[in-house]
Amino acid sequence: MRTTNQITIQDVAVGDRLPVMPKAASEAQLFLYSAASFNPHRIHYDRAYAEFEGHADLLVHGPLQGSWLTQFLTDWAGPKGRLINVNWQNRASAYPNQQVEFHGTITAVDPSTGEVEIDVHEQTDDGQVLMPGTARVRLPLGEES
Amino acid sequence: MSSSLIPDESLARVGEVLAGPVTVTIDVREAQRYAYAVGDENPAYFDQAAAEAAGYRTLTVPPTFITHAIVPPRPAGEMRTDGLYRDGTGVRLEVSRMMFGGEEWDFLADVCAGDEITATTRLAALDQKEGSKGPFVRQVRETTYVNQDGTEVARSRQIGIAK
Repeated sequence: MRTTNQITIQDVAVGDRLPVMPKAASEAQLFLYSAASFNPHRIHYDRAYAEFEGHADLLVHGPLQGSWLTQFLTDWAGPKGRLINVNWQNRASAYPNQQVEFHGTITAVDPSTGEVEIDVHEQTDDGQVLMPGTARVRLPLGEES
Repeated sequence: MSSSLIPDESLARVGEVLAGPVTVTIDVREAQRYAYAVGDENPAYFDQAAAEAAGYRTLTVPPTFITHAIVPPRPAGEMRTDGLYRDGTGVRLEVSRMMFGGEEWDFLADVCAGDEITATTRLAALDQKEGSKGPFVRQVRETTYVNQDGTEVARSRQIGIAK
């Protein structure tokens, strides 16, 4: 859900957890992402081929999970926040029609610059970590929102 | 000492430009199709007033959209059996498969619809490392993105672990 309030550096502290963001993709959404990213790789839309290559099912694209992660951060940062750094590692596959969750915990706060460091990860709903990472967000300082 | 997974000819390519420079105009409809495909309905991607209220000059785009905006049109005849296009920028390695990958991004300045982005990709690093299950190769491809004013707007590193 998009936040309508603008979060500022005054509102955050080390240890704070970001609201968990759920995501899931249907087969049609995987196809749409392949189209929108100009990617014809069959493992994302041709189930028989994905299984022939040894996968359990169609695969959710790594970059799609990356964009889910950036959305998790930009939604939390609000309109005036800016994502300034993100990194992730794709450790295990995600599949269509499987709910995943994005989690974040604040690890550092700099009130003078508005920069926040966050440990992030994508996991299945039973706790398997698919994609760990970190991020830095710059929030407004809070004098004028 | 295990044998090298990295041929000398590939080691010599570290620092080499693999792709680009290529310049594209950020297309608002492509960016919106991308945002909807992600399920990201951030008003700043769709509504001019919302974009300006957020401090953008005009509509902005999902942060990693620029890596997809630079994908070139390719003829169908250049597709492999697996659907991927034959990649002339591949670096030869003595490995069987990609184990996993990751990305690192620095976002340095806002990117907006209509911006002209020039992207250049280099082979930034190629290292063989010893893991608990034997040797593996870590390859890093770095892309720099510069806008029409010469401002670097983003840097990305794509990391591949193969063995």
